[in-house]
Amino acid sequence: MKTASVLRLILGAAFALLSLGATAHADTLDDIKKAGKIRIAIDLAIPPFGMTDDKMQPAGSDVDLARLLAKDLGVQLEIVTTTGPSRIPMLQTNKADIVVSTLSITPDRAKVIDFSLPYADHPSVVAGMKSATIKELSDLDGKKVAVVRGTTQDSDLTQKAKGAQLVRYEDDATMALAFASGQVDIIATARSLLPAISKKNPARTLEAKITMQTNYLAIGMRKDEPKLLAWVNDWVKTNLQNGKLVAIYKTHHGIDIDPALLLKAGG
Amino acid sequence: MSYKFDFAFMADRWPDFVAGAWLTIQLTVLSIALGFALGTLCALVRVYGGPVLRRLVGAYVEAIRNTPLLIQIFIVYFGLSSLGLKLSADVSAVIALTVNMGAYSTEIMRAGIQSIQRTQLEAADCLGLTRLQTILHVVLLPAMERVYPALSSQFVLLMLASSITSQISVEELTAVANNVQSDTYRSFEVYVVVAIVYLVLSALYRFAFWAIGLGLFERKRRLGTPL
Repeated sequence: MKTASVLRLILGAAFALLSLGATAHADTLDDIKKAGKIRIAIDLAIPPFGMTDDKMQPAGSDVDLARLLAKDLGVQLEIVTTTGPSRIPMLQTNKADIVVSTLSITPDRAKVIDFSLPYADHPSVVAGMKSATIKELSDLDGKKVAVVRGTTQDSDLTQKAKGAQLVRYEDDATMALAFASGQVDIIATARSLLPAISKKNPARTLEAKITMQTNYLAIGMRKDEPKLLAWVNDWVKTNLQNGKLVAIYKTHHGIDIDPALLLKAGG
Repeated sequence: MSYKFDFAFMADRWPDFVAGAWLTIQLTVLSIALGFALGTLCALVRVYGGPVLRRLVGAYVEAIRNTPLLIQIFIVYFGLSSLGLKLSADVSAVIALTVNMGAYSTEIMRAGIQSIQRTQLEAADCLGLTRLQTILHVVLLPAMERVYPALSSQFVLLMLASSITSQISVEELTAVANNVQSDTYRSFEVYVVVAIVYLVLSALYRFAFWAIGLGLFERKRRLGTPL
């Protein structure tokens, strides 16, 4: 009798909390404008997308994109630092309004969040020491391959390179350290990262061996936010066409992205 | 927010959780056993050893107890590897956890050893016990009985702290949770499940230490009162 009533009390409180959450839901774009600031989740441990510069300030192409977006929206930017595995939970738990954090479009992710038009392409590769002979995924059989947990490289290799021994780290910095310190000799990561990782230990220079797939990076947001999605899509399109996003990419990555290709990929 | 709970992932991912929990148990049981042995030895040195050895043990204890476990794990895994000594993630984890456990149990066992009164040692001397017999039966076992609650708490703490080894790619319980979370995006549900598994593990450990205590301490088994 007593336990039953306590249980009822707890359940009642839980439901009250849940329904409170449901009524508090409103349109995110309106909320952002009302608050005068946008909370953008960025991983600051993925140079050159997100990093901390020598003055300890956030820098990188995702950071510059976020700054431009906040400026065009006319609100303050609040950077919410995140990590690869927690990018989507950040949205789900309303700790951020949008995610700009090397987030590739995948069908699995599209089930739980919405993506904007792609703002950059992002090939992922298997890379190793110059001396290593790796030509196809079967060459990885029995070898240790480092990945960052929860990335597209992780899920790709889990499915396609069953013979490989995947070693999973929590972020790029830890994975880079594992390669630089010699714990692993092969890593699967974004091609854009190879120069930064090779710089950590000049005796161990990385070379791209296999291109696994080209992903498209997009801005992630919660589902059922049509106004926000429309505004962001329009913004991406405009800034790809006027060259501002191309310039940001060129500054940080040293390569030109192709707006026509991206707009085509986005449909 | 309209969040809907969905535990469907457990249907095909539960073997992963079992494997993760099993690795957590293996890692921590090994580290607890080795660390406790190391700690007991160091405690004896700290109480009865010469001045140089005593200071060395003191330095070890303070260095470990005043630095984060994560840093210790990184030093073993990345640091030693940079110096050319490549240890696998599992081995690195056991070494780091053992060294950590050793430092804490040194302090706990030292307190126990120092609580044994001089008269007990004199009585052992009068009865003609050898030095080894005295240390084993008169010092160590009663000392351990006195500090056993503190020791078991520290053991359980180490089991919980072992979740940090997921950072160096050890596929233990927390790493499994992170994997499943990143595959299914059911972060809330995954961490609820893994929290429950840790609770069950803690309960199991506490029960096991209680049972071991009953086996070890005959006086407690017969009288049921603490020393």
